[in-house]
Amino acid sequence: MLKKLNDLQFVIGLFFSVVSVILLLNVLLGNHGDSNLNIYTGTCFLVFGLAMMLIRGKGNGQ
Amino acid sequence: MSLHFADYLIILVYFIFVIGVGFLIKKKIKSSNDFLTSSRSIPLWITSLAFISANLGAQEVIGMVASGAKYGIMTVHFYWVGAIFAMVFLGVFMMPFYYGSRARSVPEYLSLRFDEKTRGLNAISFAVMTVFSSGISLYALAKLMETILHWDFDISIWVSAGIVMVYTFLGGLTSAVYNEVLQFFLIVLGLSPLVIIALQDAGGWDNIKALLQPEMTHAWKYMGNANDNPMGLHFMSLIFGLGFVMSFGYWCTDFLVVQRAMIAKNMGDAQRTPIIAAIPKMMMPLIVVLPGIIAITLMQPALLSKGYHIPTAANGELDYTMTLPSLIAHYYPTGILGVGITALIASFMSGMAGNVTAFNSVFTFDIYQSYFVKNKSDRHYLLVGKGVTVVGILISIVTAYIAKSFNNINDFLQLVFGFVNGPLFATFLLGMFWKRATGHGAFWGLVAGTAAAAITHGVTVAEGKGGWIAPLYTIKSGMGQAFIVAAISWIFNFFTTIFVSLVTKPKPDEQLKGLVYSLTEKPKYHQQKWYLRVVPLGLLLLAITILLNFIFF
Repeated sequence: MLKKLNDLQFVIGLFFSVVSVILLLNVLLGNHGDSNLNIYTGTCFLVFGLAMMLIRGKGNGQ
Repeated sequence: MSLHFADYLIILVYFIFVIGVGFLIKKKIKSSNDFLTSSRSIPLWITSLAFISANLGAQEVIGMVASGAKYGIMTVHFYWVGAIFAMVFLGVFMMPFYYGSRARSVPEYLSLRFDEKTRGLNAISFAVMTVFSSGISLYALAKLMETILHWDFDISIWVSAGIVMVYTFLGGLTSAVYNEVLQFFLIVLGLSPLVIIALQDAGGWDNIKALLQPEMTHAWKYMGNANDNPMGLHFMSLIFGLGFVMSFGYWCTDFLVVQRAMIAKNMGDAQRTPIIAAIPKMMMPLIVVLPGIIAITLMQPALLSKGYHIPTAANGELDYTMTLPSLIAHYYPTGILGVGITALIASFMSGMAGNVTAFNSVFTFDIYQSYFVKNKSDRHYLLVGKGVTVVGILISIVTAYIAKSFNNINDFLQLVFGFVNGPLFATFLLGMFWKRATGHGAFWGLVAGTAAAAITHGVTVAEGKGGWIAPLYTIKSGMGQAFIVAAISWIFNFFTTIFVSLVTKPKPDEQLKGLVYSLTEKPKYHQQKWYLRVVPLGLLLLAITILLNFIFF
């Protein structure tokens, strides 16, 4: 995990994944349940974040 | 506008990540070169995004949205005329000298090519400019947060400056560059939903064209006469003033952006950095110009039912700088509102960190090591670099407070920066492509260019500014005045450098190898595939840029 944190793509992916979880939880917990924008943006951020974490450059090391 | 728990949580997560990046980079910092130049080890995709992100500060994001609302689609000229051509030129022609000379900074290149006095003039003016720019960025952040969120001015200043200080102090340039990439994605992805829903609300581009005056949706059509377009510019002054002098002066010589290309792993990547960066730069008007055009459209009578309006200033006129914050407040609910505010904070911090890291490199290498303490251990310069980072941020904080007390200092500093930057490209152009150019020529050319800029501003008046010597000539817009000042300063620098060079002794050819075009071995690209070669890539980008100009003519 620590080694992965040295990878900038992983860090960026992790950041957007965490933000997407906050956005989606905010909707699920009902505080602002009518917000489609949070759902769409949260889903897009999650896809982007996971893609950045999983599709890393081979031997990139950055 | 008021934030809720989810919004604050997103801002907090962002702060944790940027500081975390600093801690992760810290253990890789072993030498002054690691700290101040990243030891030329950064991959191409990071240098390219950092190259564009270093220019994606708050003045860019908020300023261009404001300009989009005020001037319409003509604002794209700052991208499609005032950036892409210069970025391609930098990649193809100038990077081989910056990177190949092994100079650690732009002023150091001037030292190798010309002499110490030219380096000193450039280094000192650049160091002063960057540290004050950083302070103005900090002031603007605190002022904006005070206005829209009612946050305490002092807390905003100290918290944001403290965070930038932590991650730049720990990880130096690499940390700043890594965070710039994170900030790039945050700004683009954080503002994209705003553009989509606001565009939908405005009825799409066709409806915008139908509702606005035609000069707001045509980039070139009304530039034949300066009185026919909202910027008050003739197309020739735009092409020469912005497209040549200011654009090339900034993108090809400003160490803040050039530094991002100079830390690439090899010459090929260094050359490709500005060219790859030109791709997102070309698309950036979608994020920073279109929202402004949408905002002014939403205020047309047919769309008043949407309930959006740009706030007004104390004088009753529209406060265009509030266009982006007001759009965010209007469209973003809790949650994504936190993302939007974080994107704004990121743009301020990106601009500040970029200035601070460029400042500490130039101060340490080009001022401290060159003029004060030579031949010390590498650890000494590493400690100095770290100390300068702290001092730079403290000066930024002082500048922010001065700006708070004296509003006019912002305008004054921008003006002085313009005087210094305007003529700079002439020095580099002659230095790189005319081996006869001498150190005396370059120095006096810079002095003459800066003086010409000040005098031109002193005898012209636009929107109540300038004319402090004698108001001899009136120009319709401040932007037009800036272009004319830059163009005249460039011309004075160019011809003064040539004249003084012709009457002074040039350096021998042996000392100019790798520094001047005619004496440097040209990079060989033919082994690479076409999409890795800078010339075909650059030509392709220029063709797309010209096409975009025709589409929105």
